[in-house]
Amino acid sequence: MIETGIPKLDGYLHGGVPEGRSLVYYTYPGVAGDVFGMQTICHATSNGILGVYVASSTDPQMIRDQFSEFGWATEDYNGRFIVVDAFSGLIGADSQERYVVSDPEDVNSLTQCIKKVMEEMSEPGIIVFESLSTIMDLCGESETLDALEEWSQYAMLYDHALVYNFTAWPYSEETLLHVKENVCNSVISVGGITGDVIFGQYFGVLKVDWTDIARKSTLFKVLKPGGIRAYIPKILVTGPFDAGKSTFVHALSNRAISVDRLGTTIALDHGHVDRKGFAADIFGTPGQERFDPIVKLLSGEAMGIFLLLDSTNTTDFKRGKRMLEITESFGLPVVIVANKQDMSEALTPEEIRRELDMPANVQIMPAVAATGEGVFEAFETLVDMVMEVD
Amino acid sequence: MSTSEMLGKVLAGLGKVGEIEASAISTRDGLLMNADMHAAGDPETFVAMSATMLGAAETATSELGKSVPNRVIVETDDGKLICMGAGPKALVVVMTAPDAGLGLVLVEMAKAAEKIERLI
Ligand SMILES: Nc1nc2c(ncn2[C@@H]2O[C@H](COP(=O)(O)OP(=O)(O)OP(=O)(O)O)[C@@H](O)[C@H]2O)c(=O)[nH]1
Ligand SMILES: [Mg+2]
Repeated sequence: MIETGIPKLDGYLHGGVPEGRSLVYYTYPGVAGDVFGMQTICHATSNGILGVYVASSTDPQMIRDQFSEFGWATEDYNGRFIVVDAFSGLIGADSQERYVVSDPEDVNSLTQCIKKVMEEMSEPGIIVFESLSTIMDLCGESETLDALEEWSQYAMLYDHALVYNFTAWPYSEETLLHVKENVCNSVISVGGITGDVIFGQYFGVLKVDWTDIARKSTLFKVLKPGGIRAYIPKILVTGPFDAGKSTFVHALSNRAISVDRLGTTIALDHGHVDRKGFAADIFGTPGQERFDPIVKLLSGEAMGIFLLLDSTNTTDFKRGKRMLEITESFGLPVVIVANKQDMSEALTPEEIRRELDMPANVQIMPAVAATGEGVFEAFETLVDMVMEVD
Repeated sequence: MSTSEMLGKVLAGLGKVGEIEASAISTRDGLLMNADMHAAGDPETFVAMSATMLGAAETATSELGKSVPNRVIVETDDGKLICMGAGPKALVVVMTAPDAGLGLVLVEMAKAAEKIERLI
């Protein structure tokens, strides 16, 4: 198995792409899809796997620059990162690369070069195509589709994995259908969401023939540097006055800001988390009742909720439940955070469950926001719940 | 005279400016200290939201590396809502008539803000 390095996706694919199989990132126009193939090859090569990148629309040196913008230093991969230059031939430029396609507009010339690389690779590796759509534009749709079959056979023979970036430009219906259904062992669709209040991008598995298909889609965001992150645009942190909401947002976030006056939040806390392939924007609400209109305002479009409770302050638990109503969060994933567990009077999560009369399936997790203890565990639990809902 | 009564006098002074229809003083965290509302709505929520606006505006400008705003002015068809800090602990907020001229109102508010700061 060769991992794709895309958060969530390797889970959906039961570990990644098996040797000798192929995968296509089928991207809708207008969505930045190239980064998927880029991230996959860098993840593989940085894990010691031999990687070949077939450059069809960009000068090889510019490609290396593009990678380094994401923080992926291809020169550090000790020769495990090989570029097939199918670009310089188009503009009549000289090439510094070991593998050069003499006539990128001739599919046979390309095939010849690709076969040569596959033969000469010292061990099974991964071959990523920068842009299958560019190859189609240059060599013709049906010619390219025929060549794909040949490449797949060869890859199977030598146990290499094949990965394509493909943008679904208005090719013939037949070609698009073929790419979507037949030519690869796995198809990952990469698309955009428009029309909703949140404008976002998602990916999901359309096809996979080595494991059961997971019909889930994952929102993502591309960070520079960083690459693709599974992304949750809004997680709400609410709860009674003084429960530790602002402290929690700051403990969790890589960077955060609070609009606090005289020690209490009067507008909101906002933080951004980037952790283990997951990114999220976190919105903390005020806790005092006079700000309830703001709580309601902030909670729109939230995808998951933390309810923070001061575990020593039982009298405020009712208010906590009430705040869940104010946020109109019924049906959304909720994690209750039993905060201030460092204090001797703190109730345990189970005691809190009884006080709140919460059913057993509601997550109540212990934390000390002041030191950060339990904060990331709570985050990972909520992220899992939010991603499951899709 | 208690502080509250003195703040009441400051608001009464603002009320004499014909174009000011309602006014209130609160802590920076949005707790009502005194209001002269002429029964126009709920002063508690009014001042809490004013504190939110002013605080959010201050954070927004300082995020851009700019200085703290002198005031927040909200224009509606029925008048203007003006919110101004009164020292580090308090703020003053007024609602004006639709056709009110800003000049006089702002001068009177600045005077009131200075008095409030010294009273608390
Ligand atoms: N002992 C202890 N104190 C905590 C913990 N988390 C927060 N606090 C303290 O609790 C107080 C309130 O923390 P905040 O984070 O401002 O609480 P909040 O929920 O944002 O409060 P409001 O915005 O006013 O509703 C502060 O004094 C924190 O230092 C904790 O885990 N343990
Ligand atoms: Mg707070």
